[in-house]
Amino acid sequence: MEQYKNFGVDDFVWDPFFRQWILTPTRESNTEWNNWLAANPDCEATVAQARQLVLALRVNETNLPEREVSDTIAAAMGRIAKPAQEEEYTLPNRFYQSWWFRIAASVILLLAIGWTIRIYRTPAPQLAVTEVVPDTVKPMEPVVAMLEKVNTGSAPITIRLSDKSKITLKKGSSLRYPSTFEASQREVYLTGEAFFDISKDPERPFIVYANELVTKVLGTSFLIKAYPTSREVTVEVKTGRVSVSTRTDRLNAATRRETEGVILSPNQKVIFERNEIRMVKTLVERPAIIVSKANIPQFQFEDTPVSEAFGAIAKAYGIAILFDEELLSGCPITATLDNQPLHDKLTIICKAIEATYEIVDGQIIINSKGCKTDI
Amino acid sequence: MKLPFHRTDAPDDNSTWQRFIAGDVDAFEQLMSMHFQGLFHYGSKFSRDKEFVKDAIQDLFLILWEKRRKLSHEVVVRPYLMASLRRLMHRSQQSRFPILDISKDNQEANFEIAFSVEQDYIEHESTIVLANKLKHLLDQLPTRQKEVIYLKFFQEMDRTQISEIMDISPQTVSNLLQIAIKQLKNYWGVTLPIFFLMHILI
Repeated sequence: MEQYKNFGVDDFVWDPFFRQWILTPTRESNTEWNNWLAANPDCEATVAQARQLVLALRVNETNLPEREVSDTIAAAMGRIAKPAQEEEYTLPNRFYQSWWFRIAASVILLLAIGWTIRIYRTPAPQLAVTEVVPDTVKPMEPVVAMLEKVNTGSAPITIRLSDKSKITLKKGSSLRYPSTFEASQREVYLTGEAFFDISKDPERPFIVYANELVTKVLGTSFLIKAYPTSREVTVEVKTGRVSVSTRTDRLNAATRRETEGVILSPNQKVIFERNEIRMVKTLVERPAIIVSKANIPQFQFEDTPVSEAFGAIAKAYGIAILFDEELLSGCPITATLDNQPLHDKLTIICKAIEATYEIVDGQIIINSKGCKTDI
Repeated sequence: MKLPFHRTDAPDDNSTWQRFIAGDVDAFEQLMSMHFQGLFHYGSKFSRDKEFVKDAIQDLFLILWEKRRKLSHEVVVRPYLMASLRRLMHRSQQSRFPILDISKDNQEANFEIAFSVEQDYIEHESTIVLANKLKHLLDQLPTRQKEVIYLKFFQEMDRTQISEIMDISPQTVSNLLQIAIKQLKNYWGVTLPIFFLMHILI
């Protein structure tokens, strides 16, 4: 330890032995350095400052969220645990990521769009199933040739698939899909945000893989937001019904919890919190009227019992409105609410009857103390 | 006191490695979870694409698993994994963006690291100034020197391990280290006596 006598602060800071003592002290190194310091008291100030510098100077390291780590490990375990263990593992051929493929795909797609005849369809509401699956069950990359469309522009683009489904891809998003679908199912991969208008085909479910969510539908229209960097994945339903469920990791099959499921109706939305693996059911931001134009009721109320007004709104938007019928039976309202969005309609009515409303689990709940006595 | 994460091979790393080579699935999982964050930290220096780094780590373990019968029993696991990840990432980065023509020199240029100063550990104003100066000097180092400094002083690797990880000769490692430290001390030396004096006076 003789050489340390003449060390300056900088010499200490970049001395491996000194750093080791500071960062990971052991009984041995403590004894050794303390003895040396006792014998060289004039070095104390230098050592003290060097110690502070060593401790203070850090490298910023970002951790991958534990959940993603365990998912990745589970995915890898899934691959090696396959019965065909003796098979040579080959790297997944991520050919669709290569630049030449993207260019080729874009060219082919442009040609394909040119040939496509626009056919309009009205999608029939169908039951759709969305389930959360761990990365383990992400299917192996399909063998069929995949096309990838990346929207690098600023305006949404429309993609028509071979089954006549129409997908509106938002900017900065990408969609991978086969040039022609298999006979048994229709699978596409989404990164980012897209609105899906899926043509009805009960024989072939339509499956969208987006982050942790797998959305399975038969024929419906819905919006998925699954940006790689976002902490949420959301599915919003425009028409049809979607059943959303979570599943625990395949590895934890022994302790697998019962499948929790929620049914999404039009104007409802599910938010999947990626960090917490939690699903929240709520309403879309601007619920739309779901009945056809001819059937839209007039929202003109004149001394109408408020329960009737709520009934008309609930029916038009396809959203349940829960309230205490008896409490509100004496509350008539007079208002014309044809042009307001849902939330404004509710706010106006609630103001009139001195009530409040909240959205719980995709339903609207009216909180009121009643207004019988006021009249 | 909160100490920085300690980075040497855990004592049972080698036995896990032996079991890994023998085809023990549990060892695969242990090894992967033990080293994932560390490798993720290192891999993140080469790419900001989190998913890419994550995929690369997964691929790395799957490839090692396939090749396990051909792997050496005598490796120090952590540097070995880091070296393999570095190679793998550079290879796939090259195949991802061949159009950019990443030559070997350009590859080296791709090492992003952020140093920081945690003031909690510092008692005197003068030392904060010093620490910031030091951080500034580190930031100014050329990439390869940064990586050597990172591996040597923040990952506690020795010369041989660094040479394996960075795929350069041990002599080059020594040279790079020497130049880097000289630079760190050189710039510093000018201002040091003043601060040092102040420190004593306070």
